[in-house]
Amino acid sequence: MVSKIVLPQSSKQLSEQELQAQVLQLPTELSPERELWSGIEKAISGKTQYKYEDSQKQWQKAPVAWAASVVAAILLTWGVITPQETLNDSFNGNSQGNINLIAAMQQTFEQQKQGMLVSYGQPNLQDLAPEMQDQFKQLSSAQVTIKKALESEPNSADLLNLLRWTQQQELDLLKQLYSPQWQSI
Amino acid sequence: MDNSKVIDAQKRFTTTVDNQEELQWINLAKQGDQHAFHSLYQAYHRRIYALCWRMLADKDSAEDVCQEVFVQLWQKINNFRGESKFSTWLHSVATNVVLGHLRKHKNWLQRVFSIEDKPQEEPAVMPELKDSSRPSELDKNIAKLPERARLVFVLFAVEGYRHEEIAKMLGMAVGSSKSQYHRAKTLLREWLTNEGVCDGV
Repeated sequence: MVSKIVLPQSSKQLSEQELQAQVLQLPTELSPERELWSGIEKAISGKTQYKYEDSQKQWQKAPVAWAASVVAAILLTWGVITPQETLNDSFNGNSQGNINLIAAMQQTFEQQKQGMLVSYGQPNLQDLAPEMQDQFKQLSSAQVTIKKALESEPNSADLLNLLRWTQQQELDLLKQLYSPQWQSI
Repeated sequence: MDNSKVIDAQKRFTTTVDNQEELQWINLAKQGDQHAFHSLYQAYHRRIYALCWRMLADKDSAEDVCQEVFVQLWQKINNFRGESKFSTWLHSVATNVVLGHLRKHKNWLQRVFSIEDKPQEEPAVMPELKDSSRPSELDKNIAKLPERARLVFVLFAVEGYRHEEIAKMLGMAVGSSKSQYHRAKTLLREWLTNEGVCDGV
């Protein structure tokens, strides 16, 4: 119980030490008026717990799988299949036009990513668990590799598709990590 | 407030329940045991609610966010590997949930222009205080602080975080955290003096 002394209005200002003493007397616990457990119980029923070991393996397997696919696809596209397909009407044999398209794609991706980060309250990716940070690093690294490949082969529809795909993977990963998943308590 | 006081605050707000019993609850909860999880809830929900209420200064939001904290705890409890005290870890989970809630509920104008809020003119609705029939004057006044000053004050003086940690959490410079803390102290001292109330120590 906090004991209080009522001071006359003319008394000198509360000192820093007195404020500090009051902070130390703050109750450590407060009781909510509403009964909260039933809502929590309802929300967690049927919610799968994040299993550290299992999910770590899943997170490790998935990027390894797609990274391998990316590398394989790049090698295939780069070394074996010569670029002859066109992605759509805007992607054609005009190298300069395609370079511009790639730049526009990158810009759209960055805008989408920034928009998502803002909507999630600008989370700091450095605060993520190391394995999560690795996923982003691998995606980023894959994008750099694909963009380098595109510099040499700007007409490759496959490379462009790969770039678009890795960008989408990054956006999906952000969504998966930060999107609220339990709004109906 | 010097570092020793911050350490006092940390100790006070991170005292654990019986370690063996708590460890058992945690391990069972990790295996999906809701009864064990309920025991953890019973042990900690008032403390987490106090943190939520002080940071949000709103009873209804604090109750909602307190629920969010425990739902997140259920989902993430496997991430707790005993490298710190459970209570310390839980407080950091709760702090992140509260800050996430505040970010989500900022309107676009505040978000785009970082508009600083004014002290709340309407007194916040006080929650019930355990073993006490009346709320602390300091709690009432903390609730009146502008949002950023309140967050920094609660995180530094009450929860025992360092300014470097607070700056990172709130996305501000370390100097800004210190100046917001100074602002909070100045306002609190002024208000408490004007109310003519001083706690007997």
